[in-house]
Amino acid sequence: MLRRVQYEVAGRAIAPAISLLESWQRRLRQRRGPSRPSPFGPPFESLRKLKEIMTRHYYQGRFADGAVPVAWVTSGFPVELLRPFGFHAVYPENHAAMCGVTRIVPELSDAVEARGYSRDLCSYVRTDLGSIATGKTPAGRLPRPDLLACCTNICQTVLYWYRALADHFQVPLVLVDTPYVYGTEAKPHHVQYVRDQLEEVVRVAGRVSRRKVEPERLAEVARLAKEGTDLWADCLATGRHRPAPWTGIDGFFHMAPIVALRGTEECNAYYRMLRDELRDRIARGIGGIKEERHRLLWDNLPIWFAVREVATLLASRGMNFVCTSYTNAWAEAGARIDPSDLVGSAAVSYTHIILNQDLPNRLRILSRLAREYAVDGAVLHSDRSCKPYSIGQVDLKDRLSRDLGIRVLLLEADHNDPRAWASEQGENRLTAFAESFD
Amino acid sequence: MTRQEYIAHQRAAHGRKAVAVLPIHYPKELLTALDLLAVEMWGPPGPPRGEEAGRLQSYVCAVARNALAFVASGRAGAVDAILFPHTCDSIQGLATLATDFGGWAGPSLTFLHPKGPDRPSARAFLRSELRDLASGLEAVAGRALEPSRLDAALRLHREIDSLRGALLDARPRLAVDDRELTALLRRGEWLWPGEHLAELRAARERWPEGAVRPGVPILFSGYVPEPPGLLEVLGAAGAFVAADDFAAIGRRIVREAAPPAADPWDALLDRYFAAPPCSTRAADARLRVRHLEALLDRSGARGVILHVLKFCEPELFDVPPIREAFEARGVPVLVLEGELETELSGQTVTRLEAFVEMLAAGRAA
Ligand code: SF4
Ligand code: SF4
Repeated sequence: MLRRVQYEVAGRAIAPAISLLESWQRRLRQRRGPSRPSPFGPPFESLRKLKEIMTRHYYQGRFADGAVPVAWVTSGFPVELLRPFGFHAVYPENHAAMCGVTRIVPELSDAVEARGYSRDLCSYVRTDLGSIATGKTPAGRLPRPDLLACCTNICQTVLYWYRALADHFQVPLVLVDTPYVYGTEAKPHHVQYVRDQLEEVVRVAGRVSRRKVEPERLAEVARLAKEGTDLWADCLATGRHRPAPWTGIDGFFHMAPIVALRGTEECNAYYRMLRDELRDRIARGIGGIKEERHRLLWDNLPIWFAVREVATLLASRGMNFVCTSYTNAWAEAGARIDPSDLVGSAAVSYTHIILNQDLPNRLRILSRLAREYAVDGAVLHSDRSCKPYSIGQVDLKDRLSRDLGIRVLLLEADHNDPRAWASEQGENRLTAFAESFD
Repeated sequence: MTRQEYIAHQRAAHGRKAVAVLPIHYPKELLTALDLLAVEMWGPPGPPRGEEAGRLQSYVCAVARNALAFVASGRAGAVDAILFPHTCDSIQGLATLATDFGGWAGPSLTFLHPKGPDRPSARAFLRSELRDLASGLEAVAGRALEPSRLDAALRLHREIDSLRGALLDARPRLAVDDRELTALLRRGEWLWPGEHLAELRAARERWPEGAVRPGVPILFSGYVPEPPGLLEVLGAAGAFVAADDFAAIGRRIVREAAPPAADPWDALLDRYFAAPPCSTRAADARLRVRHLEALLDRSGARGVILHVLKFCEPELFDVPPIREAFEARGVPVLVLEGELETELSGQTVTRLEAFVEMLAAGRAA
């Protein structure tokens, strides 16, 4: 009971107060002196709201265990099935990205490498397990899970990762194994398999949360998730305008709610606000960068620890990432969700996400993005941590440049571990790439 | 006879078509029943050769990179189809890269493992997946799969497994060196199963069981024992393999506890789930640890060597729990990393020798 009160107070009173304080401090800093010249457009008003809701999510999370059921969830898991049971969902990938941005990954990784985890394993995994081992996190504290929810539609790695978590926390692991789609549509027995597992998820979620959920509630969450996905898609689509009202880099940060809060009204309210602001920027001719001369596509995860560095280098040469395949994935995941048949439609929808489909599909998506957003170049981040996203990029590079006549750079890095990124070399490659447009 | 010559011979003498198969697990019984020769591609060893080698980044394992380079160079032209089991993200990527973007233009088949535990949804999925694969193989073979032939294939593979298991169990007492035994067992990767069975039977007779071999008994686990020099160095250092858990060898030997089901499809399903725990079928690492502990206890091994392939995520994830479990029991563990190299590095030789020396000194103490 006390825990529940703490959880509610943390979410309703303390987290908003922290956000208020932070925003006041930020404004004070801004007033103190002229900021450095920046190639980017003015900051977003919505950013304050974004910080507020993510602060609330993480701050409230500190008090979630013991107050409400807690699930740790992979980014591609159909969280719509858990929300109605009152789970507080924690996304270790999102948390790991926070660790990446705050550059604490080497320290966290070292802790698990000492236990035998190879540096060749995905840096999200090393970050997350390292955070558990050391107790270090920019979020203050992550709540202990009651349930681990893993879906293999992004990679097989997550299954090994969540097994290690299950072993550590000694809690149930619910697995949704999504057979890889070769060709355009999954085979009927593949979809049936996923559907069977989703039904199991509902049973396990009920058992762990000790709650019964009416089908109407499931439908309502599905409706919210679908609406959230559509709103996110609307936000991304504004990037088609010239100049794009934001940058793909902004998108990497603004995607946090669609990942972590999908299926909630809070998430949707946020994207309504962001969409309106983006449209307003278009109306007023405000661009994501001050002078947009070239438009680029980004493929794969961001390089979290160098995301600003890369964007600034290119933005200062008039180049804007107007779309990314990564943020786009969240706009497509919910497209097939049907609130009247959540389980059945989620089986189809979550099986057909970009990383669970073959390379021709990937090429189709990249080509479509390139055309719709009228890009004249692309950067394919060859991410040594993420094989499912990176395998095939050498061919994709050739095909994109041949079929679309655009310049394509394959940039080798890692999404979270700065030790795999040669900063100087990377900058040289990006500079040479930018100069090739002149 | 090279593999290419063997494939040509099988075609000429028996009219058999050949299917190249990527590692690791697949229902070979289906191929046998359809009179298709399975030729597995564990490499080939050495650096990837040819123009296509660079199509996979250097942080992808040597198995996938070498396979792509090999296939795309046209050297897999002797086979009629390629089967890609869904072993890991890398082979999954390779399957679409080679078939959709160039490298292999012939028929290609996939076999998706149900990841996770033996549960009703996994069984139902696997049953359909096996039927689906069977129909793809029927098209390659140009004949229908007859239940009686599947039955016969199941019996044949059961006998092969039983002989392979017997050889591995008796290994500490067999008068044969590790390299020779490994070579025999690995010939099953490409020989027609009937011929492999004959070789196994002959070996069982040729190598009688005697006293336990001198030297330090080792439990050797890993992906594939490449280069074979690994075993030579081990022997020269005064150790021998008492128990094998290589993905290419021990982990593929199915020991069925229950009598086989009457229906061949049920029997095939049961065999699948009775196989030893393997990271590439996403078996729980705790099950693998228990399996390894049982192997160690049965064989009397005094140390564990894990030979993993660089960049192999499934195997790399199992290293910490295995290491922790054995170290908690006071059993030393040596982790070696390979890249399908043809020669062992001086550093690996030194580490192997030092490990065996340490174990031997432990015995003396
Ligand atoms: S970064 Fe790639 S490998 Fe790592 S968890 Fe995400 S999808 Fe999987
Ligand atoms: S990653 Fe491992 S399992 Fe996959 S092909 Fe490479 S060596 Fe084999």
